[in-house]
Amino acid sequence: MLVDQRESQRQRKNGDLPPDPYLLRIRDLIYKVAGIFQPDGRIAILEERCEERIAELGSGSLKAYYEHLTTSGDRDTELHALLNEITVGETCFFRSQPQLDALCRVALPAIARAKTQTGPREIRLWSAGCSTGEEPYTLTMVLLEEMRKTLPGWELETLATDLNQESLERAKAAVYAEPAVRNVPALFLKKYFQTRSEQFHVTDEVKSKVSLRALNLLDAAGMEEVQEADLIFCCNVLIYFDGAAKRRCLRHFSRILPPYGYLFVGPAESLFGVSEDFRLVHFAGATAYSKPSRTSGSSGLL
Amino acid sequence: MNKAKTDLIQARIREIDAIPTVPAILRPLLHYLEQPEDQIEVPKIVELVSCDGSIAAQCLHMANSPLFGRSRAVDTVRGAVISLGVGRLRDILLSCVLVRMVPKAKWLIDPVVFWQHSLGCALLCRQFARKINYHAPEKAYLAGLLHDLGEVVNSVLLPSEFRSAAEKAFSQSLPIHEAELSAMGFTHCESGEILARHWNLAPDIGSVIRHHHDVQQAKLHPVLVALVNLCDLLCRMRGLGYGYYESREVDFLEEPAWWILTKEYPHLEQFDLARFTFEMDEYTTQIRDLVSSVFPS
Repeated sequence: MLVDQRESQRQRKNGDLPPDPYLLRIRDLIYKVAGIFQPDGRIAILEERCEERIAELGSGSLKAYYEHLTTSGDRDTELHALLNEITVGETCFFRSQPQLDALCRVALPAIARAKTQTGPREIRLWSAGCSTGEEPYTLTMVLLEEMRKTLPGWELETLATDLNQESLERAKAAVYAEPAVRNVPALFLKKYFQTRSEQFHVTDEVKSKVSLRALNLLDAAGMEEVQEADLIFCCNVLIYFDGAAKRRCLRHFSRILPPYGYLFVGPAESLFGVSEDFRLVHFAGATAYSKPSRTSGSSGLL
Repeated sequence: MNKAKTDLIQARIREIDAIPTVPAILRPLLHYLEQPEDQIEVPKIVELVSCDGSIAAQCLHMANSPLFGRSRAVDTVRGAVISLGVGRLRDILLSCVLVRMVPKAKWLIDPVVFWQHSLGCALLCRQFARKINYHAPEKAYLAGLLHDLGEVVNSVLLPSEFRSAAEKAFSQSLPIHEAELSAMGFTHCESGEILARHWNLAPDIGSVIRHHHDVQQAKLHPVLVALVNLCDLLCRMRGLGYGYYESREVDFLEEPAWWILTKEYPHLEQFDLARFTFEMDEYTTQIRDLVSSVFPS
């Protein structure tokens, strides 16, 4: 690489120069194909990830790599490899506090109000693509804590599914190292974990609420077996699916969710232009999707 | 608002000099701000900035801030204008002027939070205006910046009444205008309108100040009012509100303001609001830093 190229790269990373136009094209491509947005604050990370891929492929430049992602025969495989690089290391407990606030302060009370009139006194949650368990256990402990205060006598059931058996085994063990629990508030750490040999074990109380199961979200027969869930969390999973697969999966989600339910995707993930089955809703600091059949009366408080 | 309350606010505005001192600078500034960027007379702005030592100092301080990625020192107002560009300087200048409008001790709500919201709303209004091809993005910026002026009136001129409204909003996670209506019988929209008239602000800005929480009642400039309404709401949903949690769910497509804009701009039906939201998060941190640097700690 030429010295002046290195210098411009350094200046770009420091924010002294605008990002390389091909990096912005890659960002737009990722958003268009996968639906995950890389904000300017993460653009340097995106560039690093691209550089890692470029080094592995020997593509030479961002321009050549962009062309690889758009015109080569293995462009889908390469996009998956890049997405893996972008989302790697993001799994931990309490990953998005604004999402948890939206869940407890707005979504849960709204669902409880609807179910008080029509359904059993239970909250059913599905973590679709639960990986090694951090997400379903976080949601379960947060809801247990909240429901003790605001919905005494209500039951909680969590279904957690993933395609990967190895991940599921780790989720079943429910033993985590320090980095995974770095965001866990002290109260939750004390109440819902046991520390043994510098490892953090999720308590039996939480584990007993979570059913772990292998499921491919693209397997129609398997999806048919999933019963109604008031809340679906499917974070950074749909980004790996093509448009048709996304739509198929969302049709199942739509069937599984009642009219008052919510679908939460990753904090930087968008379903824009993918499906008519869901509409974007905003909470303070978080977004989710609801079914369009519901009139939200959004100007007022729920 | 009943006549007695209106008379009371008008009388207090006339009596108290804390608010009316600033418009001497604000009025010409507002005039320049409404011009398209390429028609702004730079020397006039330099003159205006230079005539107030402390504003000039603040502008220079900010022009030299790493926030703007300056690599060499700027030591004159003219240098700051050239270095920053008129657009950026205008944002800084107006923020400086407005935050000095009321002594810090007089505020009931945190002025830093208030100006973060106002500046955030201004920037978002301009950005959104450009996205939807609204004809006057600079006007949208100004309307966004000034839309909550009534909060200043309520905070400074009616402190005891406003305190109970603010406490209600914070404790019950209510939007501030709903808490004001419940606790005071009127909102910052009405008191802001009185100040806007007192300052002879343009009718479109006055309409935004008066109707940004009830857009369907706006007879004057409903499109601008709707634009500010949506950006105000989006700011409050994305961490640039009044520093407390509003427990609510918003479907922007069901907002009356969205319907008003869609009627005027049919292409809004294809607007990617999710992406716009993510893009907005980009400058939330920058706005926080900018406003914090205007206030001496």
